[in-house]
Amino acid sequence: MQPLNEAILIMAVGMITVFFILFLIVLIGDLIIRLSNKYLPEEAVAVKAKKTGTSSDNTMKAIEAAIDVITNGRGKVTNIKKI
Amino acid sequence: MEEILSKLYRMTAFGGFSFEVVLMWFIAFVLLYLGIRKKYEPLLLVPIAFGVLLANFPGGGMGIVPAENIALEGHRYKNLFEIASEYGIMNYLYYSLIKTGFLPPIIFMGVGALTDFGPMLRNLKLALFGAAAQIGIFTVLIVSLLLGFNLNEAASLGIIGGADGPTAIYTTIKLAPHLLGPIAIAAYSYMALVPVIIPFVANLLMTKKEFKINMRQMDKLYPPKHKIKNLKVVKIIFPIVLGCVSAIFVPSSVPLLGMLLFGNLIKEIGTSTLRLSEAATGPIMNTATIFLGLTVGATMTADVFLSPKTLGIVVGGFIAFAISIAGGILAVKVYNLFAKKKINPLIGATGLSAVPMASRVANEIALKHDSNNHILQYCMASNISGVIGSAVAAGVLISLLS
Repeated sequence: MQPLNEAILIMAVGMITVFFILFLIVLIGDLIIRLSNKYLPEEAVAVKAKKTGTSSDNTMKAIEAAIDVITNGRGKVTNIKKI
Repeated sequence: MEEILSKLYRMTAFGGFSFEVVLMWFIAFVLLYLGIRKKYEPLLLVPIAFGVLLANFPGGGMGIVPAENIALEGHRYKNLFEIASEYGIMNYLYYSLIKTGFLPPIIFMGVGALTDFGPMLRNLKLALFGAAAQIGIFTVLIVSLLLGFNLNEAASLGIIGGADGPTAIYTTIKLAPHLLGPIAIAAYSYMALVPVIIPFVANLLMTKKEFKINMRQMDKLYPPKHKIKNLKVVKIIFPIVLGCVSAIFVPSSVPLLGMLLFGNLIKEIGTSTLRLSEAATGPIMNTATIFLGLTVGATMTADVFLSPKTLGIVVGGFIAFAISIAGGILAVKVYNLFAKKKINPLIGATGLSAVPMASRVANEIALKHDSNNHILQYCMASNISGVIGSAVAAGVLISLLS
């Protein structure tokens, strides 16, 4: 009988704890949402800086120049695949 | 000549054959069939099944030996080198990675990095149904006790109802390690059977009208009070705060919940921690899964697995699953009695973990009754909270019983 009583007690403690923690999650989530809506309302929009002279641009220019030389200006780069 | 033949015979495994060994091979083949052909949780069932095979090859030395074999006087244990040299590499892996409780939290870290708390944050109230669905754990604890299991074994059996593999394994390691094999098999098998069990329980408990409750229409009629303006910030702050709060109230859940939330945080931060989240969800989680599956399978030697308790675990596990689903459904039905904004009880059914399969199954059932009733996002809210709920329930059981 003793273990059964203990099991019933564990059930009560367990269910109350689980409900309590998930109830806290609801409260915490709600609080975080309210605070972020008030103080951090919008996501910082990433400003697209105009790319100037990045390494990928330079690579592209080098490939285009090489194709231009090899095909005497008739070739055009449509797709670049890394092998 | 006769001596050579005798040595040759002893070299092979034929001398160790027995009915029990062949039966274990058969069980391993069935599990392999379910994993490979039927695709029942193949990522875990295949390593577990192969671990069963390895453990039951006579003379292979891959079966896990009971903890008494490695115990020394004064609550001390043999060191890992001694374990490896006496009992082989599988015991080395088991006692270093499983018995220490190392792998389940590592897998939870990967699960966290794959989890999106967004649906739960958008529908916070639905998180409470993840608590209701833990009732199966504790009900089966009591039933198992009446069936002759001791308290620790009953708790390990009940945790199958949480429908969370790593949680079930972690709890069993802590409370009843001798039942690890059958409990892991039962947990993962029933998770694979979620598409069968949820419709079965839902059809028993729900009316046609309830199946058709349309959540989007309800949202239009009763819109949520607060819309999230900056979801990214909320998603980053949430695991940090939740980790602190749960650690204060249920410290024994920290190994699982803490790692889950850490995994989630490195995912939500974005590009600056992308390499960490990729490692957590890729190489680390995959490696952990392989070793977890193989070693758990290797605990299932014939003398351990072929006992009446295994049958009790298989039956008890199913009951735990079914009661958890029923608990979630009934909680929603009770809520609907008092609330204006009705909730589809299928959302309660997903309160047990089994993410995201439970949500997908519930969504499909809702769509069968109304092709416009997409409830996946709502189900995910309750489903994810179920993961937290079962980890908390495991923490309670471990702290009260270990």
